[in-house]
Amino acid sequence: MSKIPGLPPEVREPGPGVELGVEDGLLCQLIHSPEFNLFSDSVVFESIFIQVTKPGNWMDDCEGPTTVILGVTSSVPSLPLPNILLMANVTWPQGQFSTWSTPGSAPVITLSRILPLKYVELRIYDRLQRILRVRTVTEKIYYLRLHEKYPETVFQFWTRLVNILQRGLSITTKDPRIRISHCLVPKLPCRSAETSESSLPSSSRPSESSMLLAAEQNSDRFLNLSGTSQLTVHRNTNSATEIETFNCKDNTSSPASSPVISNIPMRAALSHSLWEQENADEYHIQAPVASSLGENFWGP
Amino acid sequence: MAYAYLFKYIIIGDTGVGKSCLLLQFTDKRFQPVHDLTIGVEFGARMITIDGKQIKLQIWDTAGQESFRSITRSYYRGAAGALLVYDITSTRENTLKIVIGLSLMFRRDTFNHLTTWLEDARQHSNSNMVIMLIGNKSDLESRREVKKEEGEAFAREHGLIFMETSAKTASNVEEAFINTAKEIYEKIQEGVFDINNEANGIKIGPQHAATNATHAGSQGGQQAGGGCC
Repeated sequence: MSKIPGLPPEVREPGPGVELGVEDGLLCQLIHSPEFNLFSDSVVFESIFIQVTKPGNWMDDCEGPTTVILGVTSSVPSLPLPNILLMANVTWPQGQFSTWSTPGSAPVITLSRILPLKYVELRIYDRLQRILRVRTVTEKIYYLRLHEKYPETVFQFWTRLVNILQRGLSITTKDPRIRISHCLVPKLPCRSAETSESSLPSSSRPSESSMLLAAEQNSDRFLNLSGTSQLTVHRNTNSATEIETFNCKDNTSSPASSPVISNIPMRAALSHSLWEQENADEYHIQAPVASSLGENFWGP
Repeated sequence: MAYAYLFKYIIIGDTGVGKSCLLLQFTDKRFQPVHDLTIGVEFGARMITIDGKQIKLQIWDTAGQESFRSITRSYYRGAAGALLVYDITSTRENTLKIVIGLSLMFRRDTFNHLTTWLEDARQHSNSNMVIMLIGNKSDLESRREVKKEEGEAFAREHGLIFMETSAKTASNVEEAFINTAKEIYEKIQEGVFDINNEANGIKIGPQHAATNATHAGSQGGQQAGGGCC
């Protein structure tokens, strides 16, 4: 719908997600722009895909491939999982598909759909060809091949996201002592000792899959203990009352979360398993809070 | 393309009344008889001209089906106009095709549900939002279940604008969207809308901000939308 005009310069120091084009990207800038002003406090994880037919061919040979941006975000920034899928069409003013990186060839981004993720199933369709399958509850199916410009790491992020969405949040805790890494894309190695233990780009971490597995295994344990299939836990920065209500400042962990905390390197295992705000400084003021705020936002 | 104003519209109404078809007819000038159920929001946009000014309509086509509807309420925020659509035929045959196994809709139901939609819209939107009541499928005269006079009476009673349209033949589709925009534009001229308040669903194109900011008695010349589409 909108060509991205001269956008304001980044204020924050761009992280690896920005450099990879999966955070603060074109779609994020569009929905956060005054024209839409949507989910302005939430992080958007996004990538450019080429829509393909099932075997992995170009969708439309006559008019060139259909390029889309797929993104996920949260209606409420403190939700632990993304709950919104965004789809946008990408066109180039002069059909300059091959000149993505050419300066001055800014694409036109048209937001086409917003879907609640609960009505969408994301699946990895073909790892080698980097194809994602998006199926809605109305059986609309898209096969989307990650744009070739991205390194393998980006498809690993999508794979991780698919795993998270399928299995739910691996681990959660009400204990504010537990420090949680805050986004899907890992941060670069730390500027402080506090973050140094966990934050390396996934491509450089051979043990990543084992850690993810550890988190998932513990997730199963946690789910067994809690008896719930999905947890609606998030942090609320504004409501001290609510934090107190849920005893989040209490240093005694709940029985459900204790075994998880004690048995695995939490920060390492969690660093890729949560979708939360990026600002590490907020750790101390934002404790995870069990609340139905997120449900109410969409609720009847 | 540059615009003077951007108006946000939301299209609401029961499932199967033709909301997505109206949007497609307005933006693409074509009719698609079979359309997937809308879940979430689908977007459309078109530039129109009113009083010599370029106005961009940003149109949010929402889900009508009950099970997808709760999300709709959060999208009223910042809408300057709403198209509230019902089906003048609303036959059992039509709705059975769409509402498979979930609920049976009977004759005139989409008209009878208008009150609920209106309450929802009034509750979740700003009070100045212009609402256009649309009786769609006017091409199906032989299957008409809701008289035009009934639509007019409902609109009069609730302070809405009213039109009957056909997304299939394009009858009155342009008029429905454009007349709504005219009403919004008039409200801006009269100072009813504070165009610098984002909650009103109106944004000013950058190059017009300075000159138009006085219309509503508000200052600031808020930059918005980038002036492009």
